Amino acid sequence: MTDSVINRLVAGPPAPGHRISFIRLGSRRTLDLTELYEQSGRVAAYLQSLGVGSGDRIGILAANSLEWVLLDLAALRLKAVVAGFEPGKFADAAELVARYGLTVLFTDQDVPADAPAAVRTFAEVAEAAGQAWPEPPGPVVYGPEEVTTIKFTSGSTGAPKGLGATVGSIDASMRAVQEIFGHRSGDNLFVFLPLSLLQQRYWLYSALCFGHDATVTTYEAAFAALGTARPTVVMGVPAFFEAARQQIGQDAARADGVTPEAARRAAARRLFGDRIRYLWTGSAPADREVLRYLTDAGLPVYEGYGLNETCIVSKNHPGAHREGSVGRVLRGKEVLFDEDGVILVRSEHPVNRRYEFAEPGDSERMFVADGVVRTGDLGYVDEDGFLFIQGRADDVIVLGNGKKVIVRPIEEHMRTSPAIEECVVFCPAQTSLVAVVSPSSDTADLEAIAEQLARTNASFGRDEQIRKVVVASPRPSIANGMLTSQFKPRRQAIFAAFQSQITNNQDGIHAQ
Amino acid sequence: MPSDVETIARENLSAALQPPADPHEIEPDLELTDYGLTSLQKVLFLTRLCEDLAVDLASLTERDVAEMRTLHDVVDTLSRHAGKAS
Repeated sequence: MTDSVINRLVAGPPAPGHRISFIRLGSRRTLDLTELYEQSGRVAAYLQSLGVGSGDRIGILAANSLEWVLLDLAALRLKAVVAGFEPGKFADAAELVARYGLTVLFTDQDVPADAPAAVRTFAEVAEAAGQAWPEPPGPVVYGPEEVTTIKFTSGSTGAPKGLGATVGSIDASMRAVQEIFGHRSGDNLFVFLPLSLLQQRYWLYSALCFGHDATVTTYEAAFAALGTARPTVVMGVPAFFEAARQQIGQDAARADGVTPEAARRAAARRLFGDRIRYLWTGSAPADREVLRYLTDAGLPVYEGYGLNETCIVSKNHPGAHREGSVGRVLRGKEVLFDEDGVILVRSEHPVNRRYEFAEPGDSERMFVADGVVRTGDLGYVDEDGFLFIQGRADDVIVLGNGKKVIVRPIEEHMRTSPAIEECVVFCPAQTSLVAVVSPSSDTADLEAIAEQLARTNASFGRDEQIRKVVVASPRPSIANGMLTSQFKPRRQAIFAAFQSQITNNQDGIHAQ
Repeated sequence: MPSDVETIARENLSAALQPPADPHEIEPDLELTDYGLTSLQKVLFLTRLCEDLAVDLASLTERDVAEMRTLHDVVDTLSRHAGKAS
């Protein structure tokens, strides 16, 4: 028996007895995984009838659904390459066909009358899945360097970069994750993030290969579906868990006659169902307070680290967890540091060695020799092998005395005060730090901010002292351009807005 | 006089905002995102509001959710569905 997950998926039907549910607002459908496999074979035959074969690219521009999964599995069975496009980030089907050389593109959106013939609807896929086809797909076997899908990385500027993911990298990542989490019969993995993200499809491959249940929902149906789906694992991102924490807090505050802890636990079960084994977070740094809150409420959350270009590099898990870290480095991955302390990742099976779609120079900046990826993140590994991420290399301030200051930990420390919503640290004169603080409400609690300033300064070294705090008024918002649409601060816009207060010596709260 | 749907929607929205806003001061025609509501917080707010109004969220579509951009939209849409349920 092959130990390649992808080759096992395409070799034959999975073991019976495990189910996959698709929940959208207004509809719910559950199939045995053997039925899913059977239907994917019919969709593969349909794709063949459209002339799709090995190496051809098919596009999928749609919200999560059964058809999405059937197309993905069908493509695997033909060695066709899937390019998944997240609705909202991509729109123009005709342009996608031309730009990415797609043989066919399937969408759940309205297809305009003048769209090219290559653009097809999900309704056709649903019909094909229920129909008998004369020519079933033939057997296929993948080599480790073959590419099954294109992953898109949305940078802060320009068109998204496209990266082909190799079978070897998918196999290695899935095996490493399976080794530490042991997903098994009885588990139900809950997926609501877009299936255009390859990692979200891992959990469906995992169900087929390792034998467990899975639930796929849309983003909009996620919270409504959790209670009925009763998952054991939820695949989320920090913004999701922050929203959940807030809701649990609200619900717990309304409870009467129980201890606060019992109220939180009950509220957590109400939101996530009563079977949670653990919650998975990744893709962006999680707020430590949120992780601790959920863990204390009976929902352990495990954070990890990885980029599109590296796949999963490290992960906390029940057997090895250290608060504040992103876990130990997984089998098959190696973390190195360059002379500036920037994290480099070497993989036994690299995702790829260059982008398939990118601007000139992009590949060379990200992929250094030998498939090693330069992440641009700063961090360190502690004595027990846990990786800690300290920030982006771009967030480093070099003082006039040559000392380098990583500002993110200082900003995070400031944010631990309930009076402080956001904090951005600048170094206007190359000698000392000035923080711009966005207070939690329009009437800033200046006393609490001053107390936090003293606490933060007491926790950091001589070169990391904040000389003064400028209290932002107006508070940064998306509307005034000081926050991104993801509610992240825009450093340059904040600096520009408060430049005179940052650089003069009078305004603001001064360190004592 | 505001409808029951509007009163309950204002209370729920107020609690969903960080920091909470006065339920009576929420502008019905201001975009929810301008109140700092993320798309996930909006989904969670609507999920809970539907529970409180005994509206089956499943009677809406993903597009209905996307198109509820202001408190006004939310009250209009859910009033129609609350009417249907009773």
